[in-house]
Order: sequence, then structure tokens, then C-alpha cells
Amino acid sequence: MIRILARYSILFVLTLLVLAVMSFSLAYLFPGDVLANLTGIVPANDEQRAALEKQFRLDRSYLVQFFYYMGDLFSGEWGYSFTSGIPLREEIGIAMPATIELATYSMLMALVIGIPLGYYAGMRCYSSSDYIINTTSITTYSFPVFWFALLLILVFSLQLDKAPLSGRISLLFDVEPVSGFILIDILLSDLENKRLAFKDAMSHLTLPTIAIGAISTASIVRITRRSVIDAKNQPYIAAAMSRGLSGGQIFFRHILRNALLPILPLMAIQITTLITNTMIVETLFSWPGIGNWLIQAIYQRDYPALRVGMLAVSSLVIMLTITVDMFNRLIDPSREKYEHAAI
Amino acid sequence: MPQFSLYEEEFHPSPWQRTWRAFRASHIAMAGAVLLAIFVIFAIFAPLLTPYGANEQNIDGLLVPPSWMGNGSISHLFGTDSLGRDLFTRVIYGCRITLGSAFITVVIAMLIGVSLGAFAGMLRGVRSSIANHFPDALMAIPTLLIAIIIVAIFGTGLVNSMWAITLALIPQFVHHTRSLVRSEMKKDYIVASKLDGANKWQLFTYSILPNMTEMLVVQGTIALSIAVIDIAALGFLNLGAQSPLPELGAILSDGLDVTYLAPWNVALPGMTIFLLVLSINVVGDGLRSALRKRVNH
Amino acid sequence: MLASMLKRVAVCALTAVCVVSCAKQNKQPFYSTGVVYCSESNPVTFNPQLDTSSTTSDATSHQLYDRLLDFDPDSGRIVPSLASSWLVSDDGLTYAFQLRRDVEFHNTDYFTPSRNFNASDVLFSINRWRLPTHPFHNVSNGSYPYFESLGLADNIANVERVNGYRVEITLKRRDSSFLANLATDFSVILSQEYGSQLFKEGNPSQIDQLPVGTGPYKFESFRKDSYIKYLHHENYWRRDINAGVNALTENIDEGIEGNTEDNTKDNNEELGVANADTSVKQLIFDITPRSSLRLAKLMTGECDATAFPAQTELEVIRNREDLTLAEKPGLNIGFWAFNTQRAPFDNPNVRRALAIAIDKNTLLEAVYFDSASRAKSLLPAASWAYQNDADDTAYNPVLARRLLAEAGIEPGFSMTIWAMPVERAYNPNAMKMAELIQRYLREVGVEANIVTYDWKTFRRHLQEGLHDSVLIGWSADNGDPDNFYRPLLSCGAIPSGTNRAMWCDKDYDRLINEALKTEDLDKRRAIYHQVNRLMFERLPLVPIAHAYRYQAYRNEVKGMTINPFGGVRFGGVEKVL
Repeated sequence: MIRILARYSILFVLTLLVLAVMSFSLAYLFPGDVLANLTGIVPANDEQRAALEKQFRLDRSYLVQFFYYMGDLFSGEWGYSFTSGIPLREEIGIAMPATIELATYSMLMALVIGIPLGYYAGMRCYSSSDYIINTTSITTYSFPVFWFALLLILVFSLQLDKAPLSGRISLLFDVEPVSGFILIDILLSDLENKRLAFKDAMSHLTLPTIAIGAISTASIVRITRRSVIDAKNQPYIAAAMSRGLSGGQIFFRHILRNALLPILPLMAIQITTLITNTMIVETLFSWPGIGNWLIQAIYQRDYPALRVGMLAVSSLVIMLTITVDMFNRLIDPSREKYEHAAI
Repeated sequence: MPQFSLYEEEFHPSPWQRTWRAFRASHIAMAGAVLLAIFVIFAIFAPLLTPYGANEQNIDGLLVPPSWMGNGSISHLFGTDSLGRDLFTRVIYGCRITLGSAFITVVIAMLIGVSLGAFAGMLRGVRSSIANHFPDALMAIPTLLIAIIIVAIFGTGLVNSMWAITLALIPQFVHHTRSLVRSEMKKDYIVASKLDGANKWQLFTYSILPNMTEMLVVQGTIALSIAVIDIAALGFLNLGAQSPLPELGAILSDGLDVTYLAPWNVALPGMTIFLLVLSINVVGDGLRSALRKRVNH
Repeated sequence: MLASMLKRVAVCALTAVCVVSCAKQNKQPFYSTGVVYCSESNPVTFNPQLDTSSTTSDATSHQLYDRLLDFDPDSGRIVPSLASSWLVSDDGLTYAFQLRRDVEFHNTDYFTPSRNFNASDVLFSINRWRLPTHPFHNVSNGSYPYFESLGLADNIANVERVNGYRVEITLKRRDSSFLANLATDFSVILSQEYGSQLFKEGNPSQIDQLPVGTGPYKFESFRKDSYIKYLHHENYWRRDINAGVNALTENIDEGIEGNTEDNTKDNNEELGVANADTSVKQLIFDITPRSSLRLAKLMTGECDATAFPAQTELEVIRNREDLTLAEKPGLNIGFWAFNTQRAPFDNPNVRRALAIAIDKNTLLEAVYFDSASRAKSLLPAASWAYQNDADDTAYNPVLARRLLAEAGIEPGFSMTIWAMPVERAYNPNAMKMAELIQRYLREVGVEANIVTYDWKTFRRHLQEGLHDSVLIGWSADNGDPDNFYRPLLSCGAIPSGTNRAMWCDKDYDRLINEALKTEDLDKRRAIYHQVNRLMFERLPLVPIAHAYRYQAYRNEVKGMTINPFGGVRFGGVEKVL
């Protein structure tokens, strides 16, 4: 177990190192001034420029520069945004939790709905209800997420007027960010109308969560269904049946857990899709998350923001993926590596 | 197995024929295939099938509703957009651009991915470990992020978004090729070839590659549906194809400004992307279950 | 059995989500304590002296600040604001302003005022843009485009404090538009005390980022690309006056019954202010660049009012019962300017030929969707100097071809049309207009190429004079005709970058200068009619349209007035659910 932990931490550290190198080299690859791309400060005069160059060791070799860049990253000096002039760490500190919150609820929705439906379809495979679930899931899975979100907005916000279409909460509420998760922050806050604020935040969450969650649900249903069918075709199931176990007994004793095991690694791959979809949906719902922030940054060519934002998002995704992968190795040592999704 | 089979020797359907038979048996898969074929025909023969030019404007016919609506006209089947361009024409050209560029993207990604994967699969030791882990880690980086970085470096445009998607698709092909190569390398027929003195290149081209085609077709359909969605998404976000170019996502994004006046400008391009992806997914799904059936028999 | 259980769980989960969140709740009383305005972009700064863009002045000028004088939104007359009265000397060179007492500045986290508004604040605010030696002149780049384009700083000889509440301004030349300039969005009054506090702290540029003014709202927070939050200013002076009026009417109340309510209402309307107990505690600018999204938010009630509804969306707003669309002819002009310093556009006949080759009415229909009136001269109908019978070019491609041939322009001649990349009220879609003009020009044998850049580069290249012709326009900042004629076509406006025709004509400059020397409106009007005639003959630009100004808001919002001089005002707005 310690060996596995060690291997994964080495993998994690190495990957992060590669990402850091990439993010550092972006300062050189992006158009414009390297110094400005690296720091987010556009020097006003030559004196200031010389001072900054000295501070960031731009006069030294790339290796030394990178070393100090890493130092800055660790000490939280991520530079400043071109457009707002606010420290990037602060901006990402606000945007990142918003994305994680949205993605978490969507994933929860996908698990809560997707896994039971997948089991149901898998147990009844090739029946008409399986047929319906399977068709629905492949249809949902084919929706381009941005169009699906637009349809939700058109129907539920504009036609039926059931849910708001932008932001995390009505701007009239002044919620102090503590954890960055809006629902938790509301509970922690000392607002006068907490209940109202909570309801308001929930109504803002509903549509984006459904938009992202529906597509993840479709994938989870298909993964689970496949896994259940595979488990059902194992010889030990035939053996159990021949021993005269009832359907329920077979399900709870043999299929439930055995089918669950292969689902976990496949979920690791879902994380990437989930984050991508979250980022796209954020722009449609004006959700103040990292995806929306990055896309605004690219529209405005805010290179320092892109440099750090890319590092932050990819580190997050890779951290999640590697953690799930490692977790999977720990509970199921028989597996060599995680398999890839066939949905 | 039939107990008595007189003609057993006479007809052995090839693996592909058997797959095709299993595929054909599924009505849904066939419907998907027909739909996809229609899209492909649209894409190839777009200039012949369309009544107008893709960017041809008609000032007198702005925001004409589709022909099936009350005040629509048959001269514009899907209606027109805010510049009086025929939406049907644009959607057809959109299929051409979106599907065509997605296809090219997948082919390039496949070529690079398979070569890298085969190379990695034949490696051993630490080098193999590195070659294995890094693509996996890179695979976790969202396509959108890669696209944003490429756009930041090289600027917006359809070709740049295609590169971004290619980069994002490569690790999948690497991964699958590598695992397949590694498992095949342990099999007896490879050992036999090795004993015959085949070198690695010969082993790969003559022995492993033919066994890989099915995996590639299945992975290719998955990758194609991802590529179509991603190209459209980047076009929609104005990071890929830019506005006058009739790319489905970009058309959809253009239509957003007139959503309330002319909802068909959002509904029809979106529907087209959806059907395109659906048909690819249905065909891919059908192929996969057909292959599974064949293997199980 | 298991299946049905699962199904039940799924259904329960869905309904639970829906019960918690699907209920519409904008009707709760809490939501009436704040007004959300969907604005189109980020303000560049919180000091409108520094920027002429309407986004900046909308967000700041009437919300955070007051001016010495104001325009009455209905009549366009100049009315008192921070200056309670003023006197103009007989020679028209000296202006004396009596200042209002008991006007408090904002009390915020970053500044606690120790005194009320007085003459030193006026001196501080005017000298900041007037004197290059002023300690704050070079703060935040030190560029004051509005005052520079009018040459106002050069014309002011002296600004003097007579006593704590009296200020005298002396001019070098007569300028009948001077008072109007002091009433524009840009002539705001800053706090001198705050300025000196920041100067001591060594952080002077904060004055434009964390603003302090006397206006109805005070600054709370700003997050780029998402929102600006303002809190209401508890001791806003107009509210005090109003409270005074209420107190007065209460006193009268004791004596005379009835009729008092009407009185108060009249007084309120006259002053354009809210009731003493205004229910709006917060004003929020929700920054939403996409106009379709602004409309969507207005429909769902996430915004109470929105900036710049797109022309295509007006019909939708009119058809909704819960929304109000206010419209007024705006003080703006969209035009097609020729670069008169380039051959062959230095030839008035070529310009005339191109002008009559296009059909303005089609442009109005296709680009403005009839939400604009046809422009004949620079001035819109809302201006007092508007000339109804001004000469106008008529569509005549045959004559156009002949004129071109006479000027020696061969068929196949190619030129550029620059189309601005942003949408503005005066030209909501320059690209589309350019494409239409391109088609018209092709019919007279001229090949037009459309050129566009991002907005910043576009303006820079225009200033360098790289264009043959450009589609652009102008929104006036005050009702004075000089605000159209001078910045758009005078020689002095070429370097400050508002004269897009690069046109410098001695006669024109002489006429518009003459117009400023008289206070007699009829005489001025006659001069401007002469100017129109001159412009029609020499045609440095083709006036195309005066767009209407629109403001869309929800019916719950009371007290929104549409202001032809630009600038939204939330001073007197209430929300009644």
C-alpha cells in the first residue's frame, strides 16, 4: 500500500512539474511582453522594468527563472490580471470553488440518478424498459451541452419563468465568501433572511446543475449498465443461480458490489468531461466560475490569467483523476491500471 | 453449435461480414447509419444541394420564418437569419465544415496516437512507465483548456481549434493502442513471428495492425462524436470557427442575438449538431454491440 | 420490486429538487430593497472626467456625483444643482455661482468626511482637468478627453473662491455653451478633502477607483465583468430638501386639510427626487455585455432595467405586459464620413456622387429597424436649433455615375469603408450598413472593401487617417448645438480625434465660432442654418440617422426617466412589488 501511495505521489508531483514547466513556457509562447505575461504588471517606465526584471530574474538563465517561478507559485505570488489588476490568486480563489460546487452537485445528481437507473437497466437488459433507458441515455449523451443548456433556459427561464438564468444568487444578497461554496456560505453567514437567500441560491443552481448533470447521468447509466451486464455473465452468477439463490439474493450478494468496482475508475475519466461541460455551461449561465473566467480572459487576451488559470484547472483535474485512480488501486489491487470508458 | 452441419466448410463469413450482419440486425443502428449517411452526403455534395451561397445575403428577406410556419416561404426551407442568409444552405455547409473538420481531426489524431501508442507498447521498464503515465495524465486536461491555450498563442480560427482537439484526442488513441499492443505481444502468434525473425516494425505492421482495425473503428466513432461536439462548442464560444464561416456552432452563436425574434436560428443548427452526434453515437454503439456479439459467439 | 423502488427514489429526488427550488420568489418584499440594472460593459474608471464613453458616465455620473448644474430632462433647460443660483456678467465672461450648503459627501469604509461640500471642492474638481500643474492632473494618465475636445481649459482664465460658498469663473472668450458644459455628465464635483487625504497617503490614483461624491448612491464594491454595487447615500441633500418639503407640508397640514398630497407630489416631480423614505437601499449594475442576455434577464426579473435594448428586440419588449419600453428621440447622429484629406475624396463632387449613390431609407429600415429618424444635418429634432427644411441628398444612382465620370473616376475604382466593431445607439450594426453601402456602390461602379479592427486599434488607425471613409457617429453630451458642430467637423477636432472626416474648413470654423458669441437663440439658430447649407454644399460627411434612445424596465420600477442627454439616473427610482 505504501508503495502504491509512493508511486502515485511521484506520478502526481512529476505531472505537476510538467504542468508548471508548461505554464512557465506559456509566458514566452504567448504574444506580447514576456515580463508582462509573467507578472501581469505592465511596467510604466524603464526603471520599473529593470527592477521587475531583476525581481523575476529575467536576466538569468531559463532554469534559474523557472526555479524562482516555482518559488513564487508556492508562496502564492501568482501575478496580477491584466484587465482587473487584482491578484490572480484572489480571483481564482473565488472562481474555483464556484466551479467545484457546480461540478459536485452535478456529479451527485449523476450518481444518485445514474447508478440506480444503470443497475435497473442492466438487470433487465434487453427488456423494453432497458431499451427505453438505453435509448434515452444515448440521446441525452448526444446533446451538445451548450445547446441543452440553451433549451433549458428557453423553456424554464423564459417561457415558464421558473428559474433564474444567471449567476449564483441574486446580487441583492451580500454573502461573505468563507468556504467559496455558496450554500455553505449562506448557512455560515449572519444574513437576516437566510432562508430566502438559500432558496434563491438553490433556484440559481437548478438549471446549470441539470444541464451538466443530465449528460453525466447518461454516461453513468451506460457505464453502470455495461458493468452490471458483464457481472451478470460471470460464471459465479451461473453457479449461484444453479445453487437456487433468488434474484434478489443474487443481486445483493454478487452483482451489487462486483458491478460497482469497475464503475469507479471509469468515473475518473468522467471528471474531465464534467469539468469541460461545467466550464461551457458556466458561460451560458454567467456562473462566476473558473470556466467563465478563463473564457473572459481569452476574449480579453489576459495572458497572465490564462497562464495561471490553465495551471490551476489542469492541476485540479489531474489531482482528482489521480486520486480516484489511486483509490481504485487501493481497494482493488487485482487491477493493473484503470481501464478506459466504453460507453 | 448445431449438431449436424453439412455445409460447414462451404461458407465462412469474414469477421467484417459477421459484424455487418449483427449490425444490420439492429434497427436502431441501421437508422443511425442511414441518418449518418445522409449527413455525409450533405457534407460532400453541399454546393450541389444548396439553393443559395453560404454567405449570400438577401436584404429583402431578413429573418424569414421556416417554410412550415405560417408566414414562411418555400424559397427558404429553414428560413433566413438576421442578414437574410438562407439557413438551410448554411446548415448544410455547416455539416460539411463541422463533420469534415471533425473527420480530419480524428484521422490525424489516430495516425499520431497509434504510432505513439505502438511505440510505447513495445517499450519496457522505466521508459515504458513514463510513456504510459504521461499520456494518461495529459488526457485529464480538458479539451476546452487546450483550445484556450492554443487560441491564446496562435489566435482564433477553425484550423487552430482543430489542432486543439487533435491534441486532446491523441492520448486516447495512444492509450488504447498501447494496451492492445501490450496484450497482443504476449500472444503465441507474435512469439511465432518473432521466432521467424520478424523485427518490431514487421511485427507491428503484419501481425498487430490487422487486429487493431476494429478497436480503431470503435474508438474512431467515439472520437468523431467528441470532435463534432468540441468543434461546435469552440465555434459557439467564438474560440474556433469565426462568424461568417458557416460552422454549426458559430451559426448557433450568431442566432443567439435574435433568439426571441427568430428562435429557429438557434433551434435548427442546434438540432443538426444533436442529430449528427446522435447518429454517430448510434452507429458507434451498434458497431460495438455487433462486435461484442461476434466475439461472444 | 427493486426496479419500482429505484424508480420511486428517482421520482422523489426530482420532486425534492423542484420543490426546493422551482418556486418563483421574486415577489418577496426583500427583493424590492434593491434595483438591478443590466449594463452593457465595465466602466473604465469611476471618474467621468477621465472618459467620454457612455458606459463610464452612465455608471458613475448621476449615481455617485452631482454637478454644479443639471439639465431638466423634459425641457432641456439648465437647472440648479450643487449651485443653487448663478449670475452671468454683462460681458458674458464672468460666471458667479452660489453654492448650496449642507451637502454631505459619502461616508464610506475608506473615507469619513469631516466637512460638507464647499467652494474648495469646486476649485479642486475644475482645476484638476484645467491646470496641468494641479497635483491630481496627471493622476490616472491625466487625460480629460471631453474638456480637451472642446478646448475648455484654454478658455477658462480663472476659477476663484470668493467665499466658502461662492465661486467665480472667468472666461477669456464668450462661450454661450459654457453653462451647458458644466451641466454635462463629465463636469462632476469631487471631494477636495478626500483628495488631500489620498495625497498624504501617497495613493492619489485611488480617487478614481474608490470614488467619493455627493450623489444619491455611494460606492460599495466593483467586480470586473460581473457587478458594481452601490449603497444608498443616507444623507443625500436632495432627500433632505425633500424631507424639508414634507415637514413643511406637514405644518401646513395642521392648518389646511387636503390638497397637500398633490403639493408634495408636484414638488417631488419638479425636483426629480424620491420620497424621503426611499425603499431602494442598493443599486446594482449587473454587467452583461450580450444584449440578448440582458433582455432575457429583464424577462426573468433578474434585472429591473436594462441598457441599450437591441433594435431587433424592441418589438418583443413592447409585446410583454410586465415590461415598459420608454423611448425618446436621442441626441445623436450616425454618419458616413469621407476622409477629405485623401484624393479623390477631397473633391466635393466625388463625395456628392457617393452620397447620392446610397438610399438612406433602406439603411434606416435594415439597420435601425425604423427605430431612428432620417438625418439631414448634424442636429436631431430634439435640439432647439433643428432645421426641419434642411437640404438633404436624394438617392440618384444615374446622377451619381455621371458625377463620378465627370470627376474622372473610372468604373472599378476601389475604396475602403471602415465599419466600427461595436454597437452604438447611433449605429447598431455598422458592419451590416457597410455591406449594404457596398452593394449600392457596386451599382455605380465603385468597388468598396470593408475594413474593421478591434475598437482600440480601429480608433487609433482612424486618428492616423488611414481610412477612405468610415461609418461612425456621435452621441451628444448636452443639448447645445455646438456639441455637435465643433467636435465633429472643426479644424481643432482633428488632433483630438473626433473629426473623422479630417475636414478643416475656414468658413465652417468662422461660422460656428460666431454662433458662440451671441446669447440670442434666434441669431444662433440662423447661423447654424447657414452652417447646414455649407455642409450640404461641401458634404464632408453623409448624415444618416438619429437613433431613438430606449430604456426598458420592469413595471415594478417607478420613477425611471429617459434622458435625451445620455446617462441613466437612479436618484429617484423606487421599486414597488
